[in-house]
Amino acid sequence: MATETNARTTRSPFRVDLALLNRVERLSDTQFAYLMLTPVFVLLGAMAIWPLIDTFQMSLHADNIISSDATGEFVGFENYVGMLTGETNALLPRPFLDLSAPLTSAVSVTVLFTGIAVAIETILGFGMALVLDKQFRGRRWVRVALILPWAVPIVIQGMIYYLIFTPGVGFAVDPLQSLGAISGAPLADSWSSLVIVITADIWKQSAFMALLILAGLQSIDRDLYNVAKVTGASKLQEFWTITFPLVLPTLLIALLFRTIAALKVYGTVVTVTNCNTLPTLTCLVVTTWNANRYASAATIAFIMAAVIAIALIGYLWKLRDLEYGGI
Amino acid sequence: MCVFHMTDESSTSGRSIDRRRFIRAVGATGVAGGLAGCSGNGDGGDGGDGGSGDGSAGTSTSGGGGSSGGTTVEMIAHDEWANVQQEVNDLLHKYGMSENITIEMNTVGQTTDDQQSQYRQWLSAGRTTPDIMIFDSGWTIPFLVRDQLLNLEEALPQDLLDRVHNDYFQASVNSATGPNGDLYAFPIYPDFPTIQYRKDLVQEAGYDWEQYATDPMTWEQFSAELKDVYQQSDVEYGFNTQHIAAEQLSCCVFNEYLTTYGGAFFGNPEENLYQNIGDRPVTVDEEPVVKSLEMARTLVHGNDAPHTLDNIAGNISPEAVAQWDVEGARAPFTSGNAVALRNWPYSIAISGSEDNLGETQGVMPMPYGVPGGEGNYPGTGGSTAALGGWHVGVNPNSEKVDSVISMLQAMQKPGFMKENFGLTGWMPPVQEVLADSTDVPIMGRYVDSLAYAGEHSIARPVTVLWPQQADAIEQSANSALQSGGNPTQEMDQLADRLTAIEDNFEG
Repeated sequence: MATETNARTTRSPFRVDLALLNRVERLSDTQFAYLMLTPVFVLLGAMAIWPLIDTFQMSLHADNIISSDATGEFVGFENYVGMLTGETNALLPRPFLDLSAPLTSAVSVTVLFTGIAVAIETILGFGMALVLDKQFRGRRWVRVALILPWAVPIVIQGMIYYLIFTPGVGFAVDPLQSLGAISGAPLADSWSSLVIVITADIWKQSAFMALLILAGLQSIDRDLYNVAKVTGASKLQEFWTITFPLVLPTLLIALLFRTIAALKVYGTVVTVTNCNTLPTLTCLVVTTWNANRYASAATIAFIMAAVIAIALIGYLWKLRDLEYGGI
Repeated sequence: MCVFHMTDESSTSGRSIDRRRFIRAVGATGVAGGLAGCSGNGDGGDGGDGGSGDGSAGTSTSGGGGSSGGTTVEMIAHDEWANVQQEVNDLLHKYGMSENITIEMNTVGQTTDDQQSQYRQWLSAGRTTPDIMIFDSGWTIPFLVRDQLLNLEEALPQDLLDRVHNDYFQASVNSATGPNGDLYAFPIYPDFPTIQYRKDLVQEAGYDWEQYATDPMTWEQFSAELKDVYQQSDVEYGFNTQHIAAEQLSCCVFNEYLTTYGGAFFGNPEENLYQNIGDRPVTVDEEPVVKSLEMARTLVHGNDAPHTLDNIAGNISPEAVAQWDVEGARAPFTSGNAVALRNWPYSIAISGSEDNLGETQGVMPMPYGVPGGEGNYPGTGGSTAALGGWHVGVNPNSEKVDSVISMLQAMQKPGFMKENFGLTGWMPPVQEVLADSTDVPIMGRYVDSLAYAGEHSIARPVTVLWPQQADAIEQSANSALQSGGNPTQEMDQLADRLTAIEDNFEG
């Protein structure tokens, strides 16, 4: 047998493809799995990581508005220093961070929007999910009604709120103005616009929170509630000892998604009002880019990516500590 | 070797498909997919030389390869042209463009900002198409300084260049001219805002504004008479305009206010409008500018509000003007629900149709704060219309420059300009042709007022810094015009910001 094999080997010329296939055959299962995943990693790297690296290298250059080159000379972290210390605020379409004008500076507007919108959406979403978790007649239709706003495209959502708050067109301006809640031209006023955009976001996104939280609620073992009843626990005790801890991992995932989306808010702002009136971080990236200051725009974009990454890590860290954490 | 095979057998015995077959299958699928993709591309590329790119323009241009053997020039235009492109092509052919050339028009984006951003991407990428694009006179210069437009001085024949330099509205030509004095874009139509009003309401109130068609009123007289007309009529709005924090305010509405009061953004407009960045004075905090904002505040908030003028009649513009752009302001006027409107010529054409106001619409130039020549700087004071309008810019990488020149030759003919005026409402870019267009339906009725506005126009200070400075200007002006606004304070802050932007410039 050995002699026959040797004879075949000497007759056949060396073939690279067969050699490679032989090598593949010798890989362990784990190694083979990684080999098969390599194209995915390469693709992901090209599509997700490379643009980030490119944006980062762009942010290390000066702006260039006088020639066809996208950016100017290499300046290291100068753009980041200028942005974070407020030195470049006057050169940007709106200040990056200016605590003396919180409603017209990008970081403060974004934080206010995210904090208020996500908090209210979570509370409302939780309430909606608790209602939907119960058995009652017509539950299917209530579900549809609650989920409907989430299915509305952002542009339509924006137009609805734009029209509602356009004087002479929408119904909301006069009564709310007489109550002192908004100004007579609410979409030109930063405070009123913030309130309106947050309201629009809550209208649309509470359903998203409700859906995810509902999924968490429905995975809770019903026997636990029977035990609670037998032991005489109150509804509040039931909630804090069974419902909340068991739904927390799902809630954190929902919060993670909503927080990231809220930090990136742009579409709702530009359809309801405009980036001058309500400058979020994404708005600032776009308007700075439109002013041909590509390096500054890249700097803001990269800082934004970093902030989102920090939020992501924070949530994942918390999830890791949970016994039922899925990640 | 035998041992290896045995190991191999044992390790693969648990798999339903062995690794070799799996890799072969994946490889075959990849090759098949690749071939399908290539053949798909091949089919798509048959359209011609220009259409084989990314297809984002949504067109294919045949170059010399079309079935008719002619040249198709790809153009980005406005809806007004794109919707009637056959008629526009017929007109161009009628006035001398070669019958072999077809202009294929498309539009991009919903707003001029979208358009600008799309052009920036295309031109930065060095694409050969589109061959020509319609450029706002307000943002042509930032493109030409980046070498993203063809230098027409080197491409056009001398007679065509002379025609533009000598006969076209000078303000339009200036906004298409580079720092070196060369022409980089071809003016297609100028745009000048006017006051459009309901003649019937004005007459019923006992006034005759037709006498002001070429002899403008002061803001004081205009506001007082308008308030009287407004009070005597049953319409919802008095004077509609646009105070939205957008380019419309910085380039135009605020520019008109401050110039009619004798102020300027950067000192003498004749010297500093397009140049001297860093060396020119920032003059937005001067008294005429602040006063013009106080005048506009009075129109909206009335004389009892702080920072307003006593000699101006107030409460004639709704508070909503702070968030109105051109369409928000126009709609109530067109439907007959406002006494007067400040808007561009396109609005005259819409409101002047028989379905809307018809011949009851009147047009007159913008009112003024101080008489012409009495402003702080040359060219300021008196009735002033902000210079708008659009140019045609040629892609420097276009492979069809000769065809484009043939098109431009046709566009400069008076007959083309007049017929296009009637077709689209775009004003002829030559004074004499405009004056000779009284027979054009609707627009022809207001030629005198439009010509007056054209002769008394002010451009925005477009330099490479303008996109940045426009943001600052519109934000401050909008804040100053809102109910709690303080023009002096806002203009002081604006001056600081503009100075910082100017000082930071290294050109």
